Amino acid sequence: MSRKVCIAGGAVTPFDYPMHITPEGMIANAIVETQGDVPDFHMTDLEFMVYSHFSVHFGKQLCPEWVVHDHLGLVGLPHVRIENGGNTGGSALYGAFLAVKSGLFDVVGVAGWETMDNVTQSQGSEFIALASDTRYEALAGGIYPIYYAAMAYKFMKEHDLTEEDFALAALKNRNYAADNPKTQWYRGEYKKYKRDLTVEDIMDSRMISYPLKRYDCCLMSRGGAFALITSEEWAKKHAPNNYVVIDGAGLSSCTIRAGDRLAFPNWDKMYGKGYPDMTEFAACRRSGEVAYDMAGIEYKKAKKEIDVAEIHDAFSSSEVQIYKALHWCDADDMKDFIREKQTFMDGEVPTNPGGGLMGYGHPVGATGIMSAIECMYHLNDTAPKKHLSSKTYVKDAQTGLVNSHAGTGTSISNFILRRP
Amino acid sequence: MTDPRLHEIPDKVEWDVKHPNKFRGNVKETGIGFMGYDYDSTTEQFKVYLHYDQLYYWKYAEVSKLGKGFIDGEFWGTKCPKCGDKFFPPRVNCWNLDDNLEKTEWIKLKQEGIVHTFTIAGWSGKSSLKRLPFVLAYVVVDGCKTAIANELRNIDPWDAEFGMPVKVVWKPEDERQGTVTDWWFEPADGWEPTVGDTPEKERMKELCAPVYEWVKSMD
Ligand SMILES: [Zn+2]
Repeated sequence: MSRKVCIAGGAVTPFDYPMHITPEGMIANAIVETQGDVPDFHMTDLEFMVYSHFSVHFGKQLCPEWVVHDHLGLVGLPHVRIENGGNTGGSALYGAFLAVKSGLFDVVGVAGWETMDNVTQSQGSEFIALASDTRYEALAGGIYPIYYAAMAYKFMKEHDLTEEDFALAALKNRNYAADNPKTQWYRGEYKKYKRDLTVEDIMDSRMISYPLKRYDCCLMSRGGAFALITSEEWAKKHAPNNYVVIDGAGLSSCTIRAGDRLAFPNWDKMYGKGYPDMTEFAACRRSGEVAYDMAGIEYKKAKKEIDVAEIHDAFSSSEVQIYKALHWCDADDMKDFIREKQTFMDGEVPTNPGGGLMGYGHPVGATGIMSAIECMYHLNDTAPKKHLSSKTYVKDAQTGLVNSHAGTGTSISNFILRRP
Repeated sequence: MTDPRLHEIPDKVEWDVKHPNKFRGNVKETGIGFMGYDYDSTTEQFKVYLHYDQLYYWKYAEVSKLGKGFIDGEFWGTKCPKCGDKFFPPRVNCWNLDDNLEKTEWIKLKQEGIVHTFTIAGWSGKSSLKRLPFVLAYVVVDGCKTAIANELRNIDPWDAEFGMPVKVVWKPEDERQGTVTDWWFEPADGWEPTVGDTPEKERMKELCAPVYEWVKSMD
């Protein structure tokens, strides 16, 4: 297992709703921007393509990756598409990681997108809800914010948290997005607000599902992203100043229905009876621990070792639940961890300086890739030129964490990236 | 001898009780069709309107007992004969890897349960907007190892509580479709909120007010 896998480069399109560019146009743009950072990288270098796309419902096109692949001129190359709900991007990166790690390929492209602006917002919510168990959940009027709210409310009560505690994550990520010109928040509502959000703004926004309000929820988006996953040898030779190393990669799973994790035998055995219940993200804990182990990070020291993180803040509450799953805090010090703003730029683990899903947007297939690219920008020091200022740049970062998350915590991946 | 864990596949199914169009009349599939277009002459952007609809035939197969049970106003769950775990929604094979796909047995469940967690929905999918705001509760039915999600009605949303006992209430028989929308939860008979007004309840009321207004404006 000595062969190292790297992210040699990558780029993200703007995320927006609506936005007028085709999937193949988005991926072409992202590749061209990647070549701006890695001039040595040419289309002829690609050996294998992993496409990252969640729902064919949005385009009413089965196998849309065939359209993109063909358009890019890559006919003849092997290609697959990975679909894994909100963790589609993370799972595609995981697939590319395996492909390079195995020694079969040196240069693998990961291209992801979603076109959620093809339908109305409420229709979009219903499409996404089709990834919950349609027989038992979507029919009962459930959509993801509702399932997450039911989990968040119990978590909030058990940890004696308040709506304001969750709101801090919403405020942080949106306000960081204001420093990133590609984010949906910057391109949209921020332009109207022209000021930073406050906790009151979040508390005053309309209820989506108690305790979550509109600004506690991520955005529905169109957007694309590309990541170039290569062997260390290729990266050293062709992207010496841009690449980062994937030192840890974990992927885990949980039940499709959140109500089925009160006594699941596999979790009972691994983490003790009654875990994760409907409050903890077991697949996040598990995949995080796998990634930490691979990267040689002690769980208790994780928050000290990780200098910057891009995590899946589909909801402000889930960001907080992820802090716990990743061992950054536990039940005893969670309140302090949140209220001391340990995930803000000046805190122990600056989290989502790129804006996260609440600020950048969440075009599902592109999201996990976006998180990885945003994390990379700190480890290779390009953040100041990618963002509007250095306010959202974590200086001297050595280690980064990337998290991608699906369903009601049904599939979750975690990656540890390091500066070479 | 056939392995007793195998699910039987019937050779021939003839539907002697047929209600294919009971609820929305004769739904016609119109297939894929382009409905119109827009053009922006300044940016030269073009867009078309595409409509597509489809009718699905969901075969309940091994879980048919669940669907037929809903029509008859019954709750059918399953139980593993090896470890005794009880499931609702039903699992037709045990979830315990040690039990190696043991086939579960059908059991009739009591139509009562305990609220494990809940939320007040103020937004939902297109087909549920007019019901807002509603309480979606995850309920452990009759001592099962799992919780099932459904609406909790006949309660002011802010009065719902963790651990409250609930009962099952059914739609009139001729309106049932064999799906989870045939029934909902209501507070168990005689249940009263255990706490009076709290700041949190006030906050919930405040958050619900505009939702009630908005739904009214939809008519
Ligand atoms: Zn069993």
